[in-house]
Amino acid sequence: MRFLLRTLSLSYVRRNVAKTLLTLLGVVVGVATFSAIRSAQGTLVKGIRSTVDRVAGKSQLQITMEGGVPEEVQERVRELPGIRATSPVIEQIVVPERGELGSLLVIGIDLLGDREMRDYGFDGDDADLDDPLLFLAQPDSAIFTRQFADKAGLKTGQTISLRLPAGVKRVAARGLLSPKGFSEAFGGNLMVVDVYAAQELFGRGRRFDRLDVRLSEGTSVAQGSATLEKALGPAFRVETPARRGEQMERIVANFVSGFNVSSGFALSIGTFLIFNAFNVAVNRRRRDIGTLRALGATPRQVQLLFLAEALLIGVVGAAVGCLAGTALSQGFLRMMGQTTETVYGVTSSGAVHLPPGIVLESMVLGILASLAGAWGPALSASRIPPTEALAKGAFQARLPGRVAPRIAAGLAAFGCAILLALNPPFGGNQLILSVLLLGGAGLVLLVGPLSRALLQIFIPLATRFAPVSGRLSSDALLGNPRRTSGTVMAMALSLTFVLGFAGYMGSTKATMTRWMDDALTCDLFVRASANFSRPDFLFPGALREELLQVPGVRAVESYRGVRPLYQGQQILVNSIQVGPTMDRTRFEFIQGDAESMRRGVIREGMCTVSENFYRRFNLGVGQQVELVTPGGVVRIPIAAVLRDYSSDKGTVLLDRTRFLELWKDDRVDIFDVSVVPGADVGQVRDAVRAKLAGKFPALVSTRQEFTAEIGKAIDAFYALTRITVFLALLVAFLGIVTSLLISVAERTREIGILKALGGLPSQIARSIVLEALALALTGLVLALPAGNLFALFMEGAIAEYFTGWQMPHHYPWEILAQLLIALPLISAFAAWIPARQAGRLEITRAIEYE
Amino acid sequence: MLQLHDVIKTYSGKSEVTALDGINLSIAAGEMVAIMGPSGSGKSTLLNLLGGLDVPTSGRVLVAGKDLAGESEKERSLFRRTSVSYIFQAYHLMPTLKVSQNVALPLHLAGVPANEINRRVAEVLREVGLEAREKHLPDELSGGERQRVAIARALVTGAALLLADEPTGNLDTARGEEILNLLRAIHRERGTTIVMVTHDHHAASACERLIKLRDGRVEGDSLRGGGDR
Ligand SMILES: Nc1ncnc2c1ncn2[C@@H]1O[C@H](COP(=O)(O)OP(=O)(O)O)[C@@H](O)[C@H]1O
Ligand SMILES: [Mg+2]
Repeated sequence: MRFLLRTLSLSYVRRNVAKTLLTLLGVVVGVATFSAIRSAQGTLVKGIRSTVDRVAGKSQLQITMEGGVPEEVQERVRELPGIRATSPVIEQIVVPERGELGSLLVIGIDLLGDREMRDYGFDGDDADLDDPLLFLAQPDSAIFTRQFADKAGLKTGQTISLRLPAGVKRVAARGLLSPKGFSEAFGGNLMVVDVYAAQELFGRGRRFDRLDVRLSEGTSVAQGSATLEKALGPAFRVETPARRGEQMERIVANFVSGFNVSSGFALSIGTFLIFNAFNVAVNRRRRDIGTLRALGATPRQVQLLFLAEALLIGVVGAAVGCLAGTALSQGFLRMMGQTTETVYGVTSSGAVHLPPGIVLESMVLGILASLAGAWGPALSASRIPPTEALAKGAFQARLPGRVAPRIAAGLAAFGCAILLALNPPFGGNQLILSVLLLGGAGLVLLVGPLSRALLQIFIPLATRFAPVSGRLSSDALLGNPRRTSGTVMAMALSLTFVLGFAGYMGSTKATMTRWMDDALTCDLFVRASANFSRPDFLFPGALREELLQVPGVRAVESYRGVRPLYQGQQILVNSIQVGPTMDRTRFEFIQGDAESMRRGVIREGMCTVSENFYRRFNLGVGQQVELVTPGGVVRIPIAAVLRDYSSDKGTVLLDRTRFLELWKDDRVDIFDVSVVPGADVGQVRDAVRAKLAGKFPALVSTRQEFTAEIGKAIDAFYALTRITVFLALLVAFLGIVTSLLISVAERTREIGILKALGGLPSQIARSIVLEALALALTGLVLALPAGNLFALFMEGAIAEYFTGWQMPHHYPWEILAQLLIALPLISAFAAWIPARQAGRLEITRAIEYE
Repeated sequence: MLQLHDVIKTYSGKSEVTALDGINLSIAAGEMVAIMGPSGSGKSTLLNLLGGLDVPTSGRVLVAGKDLAGESEKERSLFRRTSVSYIFQAYHLMPTLKVSQNVALPLHLAGVPANEINRRVAEVLREVGLEAREKHLPDELSGGERQRVAIARALVTGAALLLADEPTGNLDTARGEEILNLLRAIHRERGTTIVMVTHDHHAASACERLIKLRDGRVEGDSLRGGGDR
């Protein structure tokens, strides 16, 4: 075997360098994305964990509450038995004006009382910090780490500009932390400020993000948390820093799992490339295989030879892939980090490293992908009868087995998939996986016979346009059903994926847009924070009065959202002045009506829930929602069920009065401003801006501007579709190239004879282009219904399971149009290489071939 | 050594072809036999059955007392490796391997130790007169030389049965004569049983026995000198 590998395989590689590199590329790309995503995820998780750990310092328990922990809680906690020290903390990520320095984690702490909790290790000669009062006397004071100061070229006493909610502000470095322990959190990109200054900067009001607690000697963590939970009630969460870290990790892992789909897709493309390349190679080396068999090589030896080659390609490709992955992972980390930062407020900074575990995992996957791709071709190589391999004419591969049972099995699998999707007996990943597997299997089984039928329709058309070339290409396509259906299958599967995915995304977007048109009805939106899911600032409630005084303003409603846990899910509790809002907004009712909503919500302190809340938790009109509020658990009756897309976990809507009563927090996320009839919205907007300038961070936008902004955010999410479209086109391209290369190789003799008889190179080239177009078209035609079903499944069962939303179907015409333009171009381009090869064939050699 | 009983071989495809239609034949060890017949008469098919490259549709093919028809693909491969060797009209050398590597190929497949391989390859290359060419690639050789490499590859396993399918078909008369002489010498010196398919009467006359095929049937079977069998 070693001899065969060293001689036969190596010389094949040497003669087909380009093809081998292409094969290798499949594994490299797959392994690189996989290892990059995995290591970026690992680094992100590790960074978050170490930041949580280091920032926690000596604290053993941390107290948090949705919406912030009120200041007075600190006093209550301090008096409890077994508590040695408590210390308030505010955390916020900000960006320096010099973006290249990376995000900064701002930690607001009580400098006078915090030394019990964290070991700061100030650099020796910082006189300012010998007297914390001096530090506090200057409101722009901050402490940086030595690492960050060096990176930014910052010395004590100098200032640096930061983008804060209220605009760009300069803060002065009053002290530096030496690089150990605490100051290594967040990769050293740390800035410490006074916690009360942080309240101002980040609109926290008279609240902290959390209270860190250190227990007395002899009090166990279990005892401590029991005491605290009893004293504080259910609205507060008491956790160890490790638990909190774990939770953040879980959030990140959930978010990142979406990327695993991409790396899985990349790896399967790698497998597909190997499969194609080995099919080409087996075909090319058919005669050599025959000779080997005649000389006494067993079928197993032949199979092992090809598998050994695949193993080598797998090992080399995976190794290169790991190297490329290291380079890619930094980019992935930045991308993931940005999202986790805006959506969850957690992120990590620092360099990615590829741990040996992930290297091993990626290597094994790369090798498995390579072996899996080569398995089929290796098996068919071993099954080539020696007589056939040695025969002079090209005895084409036999027809695949009987068609009828195949179609039956395919229909059965497909039917099962549809049944399962319509009445899911279970949900979640299990459902997705089984439906996709069954549907995929059905498609795989059906593609062969269906593509044959489609081609038989296509052929008369082609021969009408180009008699000779059409005939030639149809013979080639129908003459080797295995190759044809293999290529069509790859095309159909990847196009199905694209159309399904795009359909789903399109439906989501259309639904959201329609809902926004209905729900966002006021003239101006005054927002405290650009980040809806994790606001970094809130307005004081009293600001409403000031806004009402702006000329041209007719009415202002205060919107506030909080996100308490409900049955383990972070739902959204919205609050607004419901009366005026209902006057201008059309709600879509699933249960109840406008009248019952008005009466219940405004006068009787009831709530409405969103459609997805109703489906998820099975709670509707006549039932009650148990909400955890700062004052304890409150049961609120449901007055109506509305269509509402503001949270994928479920939304509860309260009147503002009721909310203030329950939460005792009058801060505001968004002021909905209506202008007096006839006033110019743009002018009012500018007046509001002028009013708030310098005092509050405020994003003031008209309705059009606001919806456009949301639309853009949805579009950014849509970018994922564009990537999958690109990958699918890549699959199509490579599939067609390799398939046609095999076709040309198989028909070398035939092409030679044709040329000898006076066939023009252009006729032959045209037949190959036609072949490519036929393959692409057949794949697309098959993908149309399959993709539609896939989209329906995602919009229906999957969306409902994960979000509780039901979305109307929206066909992805734009993507289809894009494909209809791109596919013919791509396939014609793919045909170019094989066509050139066929055109260049020397007649004498061609006839001698096989 | 070789016995065929009622051998029928049909190829099923778009239309069914009966390549061999009831062949009964017996060839003794140490014979040198020529098979002649028009194109398409089933000569190659017969040779493939004798060498275990293929199995008959019905009937029995006994080689050294073993019925190849009943053997598995693997057993037939092992049989080919040790007991039979081939020469083809189109040589079927590996274009990417050097002469010595081509000759060594069957021994590598059988897992013979390296020094043993080197010794045996050198020996057979000397026997066919190509010791000076061992480092060349097949492309760099003439047709006659290529066929001699193929013969060396056939000899190197020491198999007792040599099957040749039109070994001189691609060569001019002088080169063909050289190959025939080589085969005759092998037959004489090693006592190898040789079955050779040929179109060429001169080549056939080099053999002791001549079997004629037509339409998949044995049309004639005669010893040299004209006596019927
Ligand atoms: N693998 C095959 N598949 C189908 N038909 C074949 C195959 N091999 C040979 N034949 C047919 O069998 C008949 C005998 O072929 P062959 O033994 O090659 O004849 P010869 O070698 O005498 O020219 C011919 O008609 C040929 O077309
Ligand atoms: Mg023949």
